[in-house]
Amino acid sequence: MTAFMKNHKTLLILVAITVVIFAAIIQGLEPKVWMSVLLSGITLASLYFLVASGLSLIFGLMDVLNFAHGVLFVLGAYVGLSTFMNPRLLFNTLPFFFIVVSGITISQHFGRYFWRLFQSKQVKKLLWWLLLIAALAIIAFGLRRFPIRAINAFNITAVGGAVSTAEAQEPLALMIQRISFLFLGGLTLGLLMAPKEHQEETPLRPVWQTLILTIVIAAISYLILFVRDPGEVFVLGLSPDLRFILALITGTTAGAIAGVAIEMGLIRPFYGSPVTQLVLTLGLSIAGIDLIEAVWGEEGNPPMQVPTLFSGSCRSGSIISWFSEHCQSIDVFGRAFPTYRLFIIFVGVIVFVAVGMLMRKTRIGMIIRAGVQDSEMVEALGINVRRVFTFVFALGSGLAAMGGVIAAPYLGVFPAMGSIFLIQAFISVVIGGMGSYVGAAIGTVILGLARAFGDHFVAAGIQLPFLETVIKGSPAIARASTVLIMAIVLLVRPAGIFGKKE
Amino acid sequence: MTNILEVRDIHTFIGQFHILEGVTVEVPEGSITVLLGRNGAGKTTTLKSILGLTPPSKGSVIFNEEEIQGEPTYRIASKGIGYVPEQRAIFRALSVEENLRIAERKKGELERRSDFIFGIFPDLKRLINLPGGNLSGGQQQMLAVARALVPDNELLLIDEPSEGLAPVIIQQMMEAIRQLSAHTTVLLVEQNFIMASQLADRYIIIETGRSVKSGMMADLVKDEESIRRYLGAG
Repeated sequence: MTAFMKNHKTLLILVAITVVIFAAIIQGLEPKVWMSVLLSGITLASLYFLVASGLSLIFGLMDVLNFAHGVLFVLGAYVGLSTFMNPRLLFNTLPFFFIVVSGITISQHFGRYFWRLFQSKQVKKLLWWLLLIAALAIIAFGLRRFPIRAINAFNITAVGGAVSTAEAQEPLALMIQRISFLFLGGLTLGLLMAPKEHQEETPLRPVWQTLILTIVIAAISYLILFVRDPGEVFVLGLSPDLRFILALITGTTAGAIAGVAIEMGLIRPFYGSPVTQLVLTLGLSIAGIDLIEAVWGEEGNPPMQVPTLFSGSCRSGSIISWFSEHCQSIDVFGRAFPTYRLFIIFVGVIVFVAVGMLMRKTRIGMIIRAGVQDSEMVEALGINVRRVFTFVFALGSGLAAMGGVIAAPYLGVFPAMGSIFLIQAFISVVIGGMGSYVGAAIGTVILGLARAFGDHFVAAGIQLPFLETVIKGSPAIARASTVLIMAIVLLVRPAGIFGKKE
Repeated sequence: MTNILEVRDIHTFIGQFHILEGVTVEVPEGSITVLLGRNGAGKTTTLKSILGLTPPSKGSVIFNEEEIQGEPTYRIASKGIGYVPEQRAIFRALSVEENLRIAERKKGELERRSDFIFGIFPDLKRLINLPGGNLSGGQQQMLAVARALVPDNELLLIDEPSEGLAPVIIQQMMEAIRQLSAHTTVLLVEQNFIMASQLADRYIIIETGRSVKSGMMADLVKDEESIRRYLGAG
């Protein structure tokens, strides 16, 4: 017992402080009021956590402050929204991604033979840049005048799954022409990624595997293209619940893939120079939002339809009766609380536990925990720590994107949503201690509660004992409270609550 | 006796600083070879250059008759080189068992080697579930060496095993290194000349980034002139 208290001193002090503050705050509030404010706060915390956990893991392991994390949140929200309401966009763009990957797969394998044709380092370097320009040019040419906004248009005109006219889609012949160019672009990109030095580097896999992989990926690309019409009808015909699950899967996957692309393209070449990485992710946080606006428009969308599991027009008496009734709200001490928000909390808790298990119980989790302290030593043990970096980037990005999908029915989908969440996630990571997973979770809970209770008191006003009138604040005070908390925490513990003194 | 490791005239830069300006090291198989020299001479950088943590810009590193310079560190290590860096290099957040487990290159390796490892470091066995950060300095150092023994490494690079340890612990450490050297070749960096002279078969002296003298330890012990000149100690 004493050993436990000694080892978890920080946690115990924190719990004590929280209980005291909480008891003071809920003085004079009815249970139904403070309970629903509390739940709203945890809902927010849950969303913050999905962004903050990845941010904290990535910083802890790689010392990369990923400003582009907010973009991934928005990307997840939009991809989820498209899957849910307009899968046409996915059916018309996914073939492009697959075909590029297919081209990369084959030419990355054989690229080494290409580079062996050249001896001088300068020539190779020049050629590399020329090929990069060529690859971008070919891809740009392949995608020229692709009517992405027209394909996307009905997002704005019809909500709820109406199939718009076929004119928005390009004819198959034109799409196949584009795909051919993109395959060429993929081939060129693969050359760039192939090993350029002479050393006998063992190939990733045997030739026949590469060939089959290439053909399979290319076939998937064509398959998606050929089933795009029936596929769209099929997806829109699914129940909203199934479509929501599908949206979760596509949104999270899109985020994870984007994360891998960011790590491989922008972060990996610059592990020696953190400033470059910082500037690149900062730039991407701006350019990425522009890109999203180019595809989905600047206007933003109203909240995505809440899955039918959480939208019955009734109020359940308890969680147990919700399982049979699927009401939109649940009774909490006599006040209705939306069940979808409880679902958000549920997802946050599940992710917290699942990632925690991954960190505790698996080998890769062990490597991550070790790498947070000293990734050089991990590599010196013979572990390819760069591959773990990529995994963590994919995981963190996927979680942020998942947060975006889950937030979509709650907050709506708009390009600025990412930066809002990014800032709050940053603050909670700083409060919890950079690189600490549990710290990030606790930081988000503190922040979520501060926002919720801040908003409540701003709206309801505070009755101080020595004043007649009720003091009402502006909403800005509630927003500023999070920064204030950060300042106080940093004054007491400069490395954050669970940060290591180093 | 064949050389398991040959470092031929390597030059290493860290940033703009030319740290190694020509270091040559030969490590015969089965020996304990020690790198001697004053603080800042480049001994640690030599170890890091062998492993590719600070890759040499010139020269070659040959391990088991294979050129390994320029390859990524994890691949160099996987060829059978274990690394014990300067003190406190264990993973504090991991338990003792996890600290050992993470070094496995094949599943179940720790179980197969545990008799050997705990034979050398019996103390670690009862600490197995403690977090690495809770161990004393000496225990951490032993864990760091034990960790390098989990895979069947042919060569161990051990950096200053005696640094910051109490004399009793240093004796234990020396005994441990002597025991493990029956199974594997050791390249040691050691400031403590008494410890080095008792352990090592061969020595290489590094001075301001160059290897200046090498030979049998037994000869160096008698050569007071060289000891004074290069090591500044009697």
